[in-house]
Amino acid sequence: MVNWQKKHILGIKDLTRQEIEVVFNLAASFKELSQREVKKAPALRGKTVINLFFESSTRTRTSFELAAKRLSADVLNFSSSTSSLSKGETIVDTIKNLESYHPDILVIRIGYSNSLYSLSQYTSASIVNAGDGANEHPTQALLDMFTVKEIKGTLEGLSVLIVGDIKHSRVARSNIFGFQKFSSSLRVCGPPTLIPYEFHKLGVDISYNLDECLPQADVIIFLRIQQERQTSSFFPSIREYVNNFSLNPERIKRTKKDCLIMHPGPVNWDIEISSQLKERIHPLILKQVENGLAVRMATLYLVGTQKGEYENTD
Amino acid sequence: MKILIKGAKIVNFDDIIEGNLFIRNSRIAKIGEVSEEPDKIIDAKGKFVLPGLIDMHTHLRTPGREDEEDLWSGSKAAAKGGFTTIFCMPNTRPALDNQGQVNWLLEEAGKIGIIEILPVGAITKGREGKELSEFGMLKKAGCLCLSDDGNPLEDSSLLRRALEYAKMYDLLIISHCEDKNLSASGSLREHLISSKYGMEGIPWASESIAVFRDIELARYLDTKIHIAHVSTKRSLQIIKKAKEEGVKVSCETAPHYFTLTIEDLEKSHFHPNFKVNPPLGNREDLEAIREGLKEGVIDCIATDHAPHSQGEKELPFEEAPPGVVGLELAFSLSYTYLVKAQILDLKDLVKLMSYNPANILGLKDKGYIKEGAWADLIIVDLSRSWQVLPHKLFSKSKNTPFIGHTLEGIVEFTICKGKVVYTEKGKNG
Repeated sequence: MVNWQKKHILGIKDLTRQEIEVVFNLAASFKELSQREVKKAPALRGKTVINLFFESSTRTRTSFELAAKRLSADVLNFSSSTSSLSKGETIVDTIKNLESYHPDILVIRIGYSNSLYSLSQYTSASIVNAGDGANEHPTQALLDMFTVKEIKGTLEGLSVLIVGDIKHSRVARSNIFGFQKFSSSLRVCGPPTLIPYEFHKLGVDISYNLDECLPQADVIIFLRIQQERQTSSFFPSIREYVNNFSLNPERIKRTKKDCLIMHPGPVNWDIEISSQLKERIHPLILKQVENGLAVRMATLYLVGTQKGEYENTD
Repeated sequence: MKILIKGAKIVNFDDIIEGNLFIRNSRIAKIGEVSEEPDKIIDAKGKFVLPGLIDMHTHLRTPGREDEEDLWSGSKAAAKGGFTTIFCMPNTRPALDNQGQVNWLLEEAGKIGIIEILPVGAITKGREGKELSEFGMLKKAGCLCLSDDGNPLEDSSLLRRALEYAKMYDLLIISHCEDKNLSASGSLREHLISSKYGMEGIPWASESIAVFRDIELARYLDTKIHIAHVSTKRSLQIIKKAKEEGVKVSCETAPHYFTLTIEDLEKSHFHPNFKVNPPLGNREDLEAIREGLKEGVIDCIATDHAPHSQGEKELPFEEAPPGVVGLELAFSLSYTYLVKAQILDLKDLVKLMSYNPANILGLKDKGYIKEGAWADLIIVDLSRSWQVLPHKLFSKSKNTPFIGHTLEGIVEFTICKGKVVYTEKGKNG
């Protein structure tokens, strides 16, 4: 029925454009399911999904939890801060322990960038990446792209701008790799200290001037500023950041009328986006949340039901 | 014990001759025709005899992490890899920073007596970079060189005092060159690859900034300095220039820097066995290291043998400790990737792995095969290859990125001070 070969969803890097389209098609039908009175499908009945969160998260975890439940899977939530792990049990030990329950899918959120491939060696379950360090957050990008496609009708040839802390952002990376597969042009904008080294070599345009970037963009994704990073002095103050990179009523006038303004949430109002723009911005952000559920159902469905057809990709 | 090695090609850094070599007790008694009756004959026809290799940079994890390596396993691994003298770094627990520690280590090493283990003392107490350790006592205990390896001396004034004070005892200061603030929490080279995967990177400048500072101090004070594990093109440019200008700087590199790049790390899916410090560089760095070896800017190849337990290498890449085991691989890696690849000849390799280290550290009667020298010798078969298999390694730790690789050149015999301390399985000595 569907052409799906991947055992895991570790990153957008590894997905083809066709595979992303498969996710979108499924997500559209799952979105419709969630609008019915009986919001449940038996697709993953008898399967076990473990949400394994080594980093705290409410939004992504609840989204995955509900997604699994709507597909009739048994869901176990396992949260463990990395600090309690450092008491002796390693992440690998935890995975091996959970392996005894014969889970079908592990949804993992972890602080270490790019660490899921090695963990996949210790489990027979499929892994869905729910955010690994600053590497990728593939379902976030899938839901962002799905939302854009829903509204714009296409992802082809769009001008996408990502603003803020690119360096530490898995959302930025996943979106860059995703939109690029649809020939969108990508531009990142933020203080130079938060633009990763040699990033232009990825075919991404770099700017430090938000005002210059705004008029061309069809889609703008504002990233969350993690205020604790301030301790490493990536920029002198929130005030200075806001002066340069915050979206305010003045700046929004420079954007195209139909420009989509997105944020992976939660928004630091008056830092990334002025709270005066709440009414304008909020509906789309809530739509992202709704689509997030559908996209996550699609990813769980794909790795949970297409088992056995893929080649063992180690 | 008298050993006759028959019909080998005897390789020194400056010449290769074919002939017999006669060992009496612990010394080389004669090269050429021998009339004396030996106790043992090794037929080395078609093989090469090299001076025993000397590793300036080994971690034996003793005391403190004997689960990863101890003096016995480390000695066995060294002998198998052709090393007859190794210098063990002081980043142990506790650190080798006083006479008592060094005495204890040498006493333990003496009980094993496979190869010669020589301790590198710590420059500062506890390797903390605050107070100088007792250089004189360390020298008396048997240290020829000092290093805080793993840590740079961040305080330039302290490094200055160390270089000055070391003059009094003719101790060589070995410097780990890294700007730790710049490296921060990086776990691989900062590069498009680190950016692509959102991993914290270490700028190449982190090494060369420190190399430059250290060289400037050595120049200013007119002292010797040895730079450990050089990995970048820029560091080599700085060292080359300094050498041309007469600064008494020497340096080493390790096999992973002329065999692997950050692209190999990516291909390995960031396996912790590819994590080293300094981190793997790009192609340009690798080419520069090869060029530096060829030109003689790099004085030696050291292993930076750094055993780590299985558990430590199961950690996420960013958390795993850096380091790879190297004693059993260094010769074959160097032979395969430098000599076979026609970058160096065998004599150059002997210079880099034995003659130069002996000279830099002032080891008497080592590093050169001649009558009267210590009978520290290895016999190698360069026509055969072997596969790197973890269970066949003598080292307690198996953390090497070369698992499964086939390498050229096999050490068949290792002789240390006239004693055959390693014989390849199936070989009849």
